[in-house]
Amino acid sequence: MSNSVFSVLSRFVEEYRSSTPNKLKMIDAYMLYILLTGVFQFLYCVLVGTFPFNSFLSGFISCVGCFILAVCLRIQINPQNKGDFLTVSPERAFADFLFAHTVLHLVVVNFVG
Amino acid sequence: MAHLCFFSLLVLSLVFETQTLTPSHHLTPTDVARLQAVLSQPLTDLKSAYYSVVGLHKLGIFVADADETCRFIKSNLDPSSVESLFYAAEASQALSGCEISLSNETRDLLLATVSEDSTASQIHQSVSALSSLGLPLASQEVVSALKARISKEDNVLAIVLALQTASRLSQQAELGDILEEIEDLAARLDDLGGEYLQFEEGLEATALFVSAAYALSDHVDMEPPLKEDQVIQLVNSIFSKKSWDSLSEAFSVASAAAALSNNHFHVPVIVSAQGPAAVSHSQPFLQLQVTDVLCQPLRSARVLVESASAVSSKSAILSQAQFTLRDGVFELNFMASQPASGYYQFSVVIDGDRRFVANHVELKVKVSTRVAINNMDLSVVDKDQSIGPKTTRVEYSTKAKASFMADSHQNFVMMFQLVDETTGVELTPHQTFVRLHNQKTGQEVVFVAEPDSKNLYKFELDTAERKTEFDSISGTYALYLMVGDATLDNPILWNVADVVLKFLDEEAPSAIQAKTLYTPKPEIQHLFREPEKKPPTVVSNAFTALVLSPFLLLLILWFKLGANISNFTLSPSTILFHIGHAAMLGLMYVYWTHLDMFQTLKYLAIIGSLTFLAGNRMLAQKAVKRIAAEQSSRLAKYRSLR
Repeated sequence: MSNSVFSVLSRFVEEYRSSTPNKLKMIDAYMLYILLTGVFQFLYCVLVGTFPFNSFLSGFISCVGCFILAVCLRIQINPQNKGDFLTVSPERAFADFLFAHTVLHLVVVNFVG
Repeated sequence: MAHLCFFSLLVLSLVFETQTLTPSHHLTPTDVARLQAVLSQPLTDLKSAYYSVVGLHKLGIFVADADETCRFIKSNLDPSSVESLFYAAEASQALSGCEISLSNETRDLLLATVSEDSTASQIHQSVSALSSLGLPLASQEVVSALKARISKEDNVLAIVLALQTASRLSQQAELGDILEEIEDLAARLDDLGGEYLQFEEGLEATALFVSAAYALSDHVDMEPPLKEDQVIQLVNSIFSKKSWDSLSEAFSVASAAAALSNNHFHVPVIVSAQGPAAVSHSQPFLQLQVTDVLCQPLRSARVLVESASAVSSKSAILSQAQFTLRDGVFELNFMASQPASGYYQFSVVIDGDRRFVANHVELKVKVSTRVAINNMDLSVVDKDQSIGPKTTRVEYSTKAKASFMADSHQNFVMMFQLVDETTGVELTPHQTFVRLHNQKTGQEVVFVAEPDSKNLYKFELDTAERKTEFDSISGTYALYLMVGDATLDNPILWNVADVVLKFLDEEAPSAIQAKTLYTPKPEIQHLFREPEKKPPTVVSNAFTALVLSPFLLLLILWFKLGANISNFTLSPSTILFHIGHAAMLGLMYVYWTHLDMFQTLKYLAIIGSLTFLAGNRMLAQKAVKRIAAEQSSRLAKYRSLR
């Protein structure tokens, strides 16, 4: 059983390495970074306490929001999805990404206190 | 019913209460005296002489040293000033035997003032001066001048002076238009709460209006268009102020009072009791003073009680009884109708002159009496009724010789009757209390004695039941009976007997603790909200580093993936875009540290629009490049396939 899981995983990693364009890999790396940041914040909250609760919330929501926006960007940029996004060019996707981030950061900074 | 003749006669006391349509404010004799005193002050100049002399004349008082005053007037007269002539002329006319002669020029000056170009005040002064000095004047000219002035100067005081002037003119002149001004002015009065009616210009204007309106109405012999209620409201306004700021104000009040007490149409009637609740021992008479606004008695009046009925039972006692006039006071022997004690509502009418205004008065009259206590019986009854009660009868205002003992098996009972001294009718006063006072500890307990259906009062003290009120302190208690009521002339406090009470479970008589109501209470310590415990700085710093560490990882990954900026074109839009974007991120930081949302939005709008425009251009350029590259690669593939 574990054997097949391991083989599936290694196959997945191999495919990922070879067939994913570089741009997407960069976005994936960014998403990993965001994920880790969120996890560490949550860990702090669990271990030490929720003292400035609003700060924790804003930081955590910021991580979640950024992750989601990165996912959206990745989907829209992926050339394999071009058929689904005929009206959205990659540049347009990136511009939307930036605008959404502006709004998100405005709210986050307002809430962090 | 026992008739107790050796107690004194019934007395009658009066309490008055007037209702809305009658004057609520009027001058009392002291107020009138004060008014006279204000007007009798030493003369300082011609104007004050005018106010004093003419004011006192209106009140019917003659100036003390008329010659001295006349000389003063003549010496202060300035023949070139219309105002001065007016004061002098009016004052001299009020004094007897004071004549002022005028030269022809002065007379011409006065006549010339009567024109449309002078103010209403000047016309009033010259016409009054001419009229007081008996000099002829052209009434019709005056009327037309006044009408012109009224339409030009629409204020209250000018119109009042016009009315006053018109009352000095000949009766043949056409005064109809000016007479209509009274009604117009009356419409301009402000109604305050239904009780007062006055001009917003104040008391003086209102008082002068009243005196001018009645002067003119009397002159033309036409009733002024003022309703009875309005007259009473004017009376309330004018006479509500009892001390006057200036001589002119006092003068205006005196003129108004004189006008209201002595005109052909409306004479307000002031009805007041002779002394408030003044009772004398043999005073069965209800006494009323009926006067005009100057506190002068109305001799021609007839005072009649239309109806008098008891307030509680609404049964009529009197109907159509007349008051008799004795020494300027109207009185009625109310006790002759033998009313029971209590309150009575009287409806009184003052007749005799059709000019009387506010001549229906409602009064509340109190009939009081003296109370007597009958058949005071004290007894100690066993609870199980095995031993018959021994009653001791106590006579009023003596104390029972023996003291009564009651312990927990016995009840102490007190029975008595309260009757009217003269008629013997049973009474139920408002307050019938039984007070037990422990002389040693100073404690006192008060109970209420209640009458039964036959108006027999009974008080029963059950020692076992009531021991909490007494704090179970046994001992000798002095027993007092307290009787009181508004209609009783002799309230009673009677030490009837001594009662020795024995309680079970007696605590040692502890000293009565002074009530701790007024001593300082223990201080309340306020617990402020504890600030939350913060983790030690080391821990937070460690976690900050931990949270920031994935950024390093990102940089490493990107480097490994081969991220580069080789496609960075140095076009202005690109540079502007990157600068703008960096500025936006910087703005976020500044927002966190210094700014508030409004300022941030403002800056963000500016920077954001710039960045958007630059970014749009930059991305468009990139898109063009990308499409060109795709096309060329597609073309190359197509070519290679061929």
